[in-house]
Amino acid sequence: MPPLLKLNNIGKIFSTPQGREVSALEDVNIEVEDGEFISLIGPTGCGKTTLLRIIAGLETASAGEIAIQDNQTGASSPLCTLVFQQYSLFPWLNVIENTAFPLEMRGIPRRSRIKMAEEYLELVGLAGVENAKPYELSGGMQQRAAIARALAYDAKILLMDEPFGALDERTRHRLQDTLLEIWRKKKKTIIFVTHNIDEAVYLAGKIFIMASEPGRLVEDITISIPRPRNRLSEEFTNLHLKIRNFLEKAA
Amino acid sequence: MLRRGAAGIDSANSIMGKVFTTAQSFILPIAFLIVWEVIAVILDNPALVPRLTAVIAILVNPFSELIGTGSLAWNTIVSLVRVLAGFAIAVIICVPVGLAMGVSKTINRLVNPLVELFRPLCPIAWIPFAMAMFKTTRVPQLFGVRYTDTILDSVQVGMLFIIFWGGLFPILLNTVHGVSNVREIWLETAKMLGASKVKMFRRVILPAALPAILTGIRIGLGISWMVIIAAEMLPGSDSGIGYLIMYSYELAEMDILVASMVMIGLMGLLLNRGLQLVSNRISGWTALER
Repeated sequence: MPPLLKLNNIGKIFSTPQGREVSALEDVNIEVEDGEFISLIGPTGCGKTTLLRIIAGLETASAGEIAIQDNQTGASSPLCTLVFQQYSLFPWLNVIENTAFPLEMRGIPRRSRIKMAEEYLELVGLAGVENAKPYELSGGMQQRAAIARALAYDAKILLMDEPFGALDERTRHRLQDTLLEIWRKKKKTIIFVTHNIDEAVYLAGKIFIMASEPGRLVEDITISIPRPRNRLSEEFTNLHLKIRNFLEKAA
Repeated sequence: MLRRGAAGIDSANSIMGKVFTTAQSFILPIAFLIVWEVIAVILDNPALVPRLTAVIAILVNPFSELIGTGSLAWNTIVSLVRVLAGFAIAVIICVPVGLAMGVSKTINRLVNPLVELFRPLCPIAWIPFAMAMFKTTRVPQLFGVRYTDTILDSVQVGMLFIIFWGGLFPILLNTVHGVSNVREIWLETAKMLGASKVKMFRRVILPAALPAILTGIRIGLGISWMVIIAAEMLPGSDSGIGYLIMYSYELAEMDILVASMVMIGLMGLLLNRGLQLVSNRISGWTALER
């Protein structure tokens, strides 16, 4: 069976205001199977966010192509959506209206979309703050709401751009567990960008390591440690060190 | 913005501290009034500097007849009607045009040269033009009626025109600014969640730009109110707070003149505060958002 998403030789060239051309991505080849949890890891400036934005359709690739296996994505449900690092909630809407936003865009009547949104909020552990405004929530709760909203869009692939990058460690760990639970329950495909090795090893089934100048893939590692993973186990720490070595060589 | 109490000794939390902080905002106004009254007493010339008591007497009896032009309250209401009418026209025209300019680069390129050309012109510079253009035409005459026996009889088209120019640029430019500065992340998020162009405009761009639009409306109303004096200097005007100022000057009734000026200040303050309350209710999130 062909993969759900296939990136073939993706390249991206930016021109600076001075007219110089900078290669942000070169020859990126990635295959994503349905239901995989993939992590893209790399130093700042390696183009991991750019790659995610190309998949999302927010940027166009300068070279290469993206192949999507059509018959796996139902005609009614969209292919992918993106969760940003922070501040993506609409401050003029409360939490439930934010969560129901993609349903509103789809034209679902108010009563039923509010009901559906409540279920998604429950799923991310955010029941009880439906009427709060985003700025009344902590950073962790805001990201939970952003995830609930992305889930409400019901896309096949969840693209996540350092979604826990602005959170403290405890909160980050809790959200990682929530995300794994959602991934298991909802059978989503997740592409998760991070620069945190621990996060990538804890979450992903497969890690793509990237290097900068030009942005490129240097290694992919499949992780078979069963979940929930113990951060202090030998295989976990060994993997952590291995990835760190790759990143240091890449930098 | 949050105001923070000064640290340490000058604690704004204690009752005495609060009294003292509040008192600070009254020190200079009271000093000003005292100096005024002292000068009035020394000069002893009510045609130059009227006594405070005379001014206050007019202000506390706003419904009493003044120098044959109606009461202070009546003239204020006439002015308010004129300002609100001219200002409403400015809102009705400028908000949609500003929205269009903010959304479409093409429309912005088409309209912006005109905006840049006329912007440096103070609304008062339009008075001679308005006089030539509209003469003393009143609003009812536009509809073929000579007199309606309503307050509209005292609203000249030329006045509306000048007040309109007062409100135009703040409203237009703030609307354009508000629309073109909607945060990219909100637009991209909406796009990633399946928003069509129309829904993106209605449910993201409009609410995100609303605080800026309301600020423009508030500043615009302030300027419209300021130019009322100029608008009421048009020939054929026989009422309004601006007219009252000019007329009391001609009769050397300084107490009425000063009372009218105070009235203009008070009304301006009230309009501003009123709109501030409305806009805080509608878009309170801007102040609270991190």
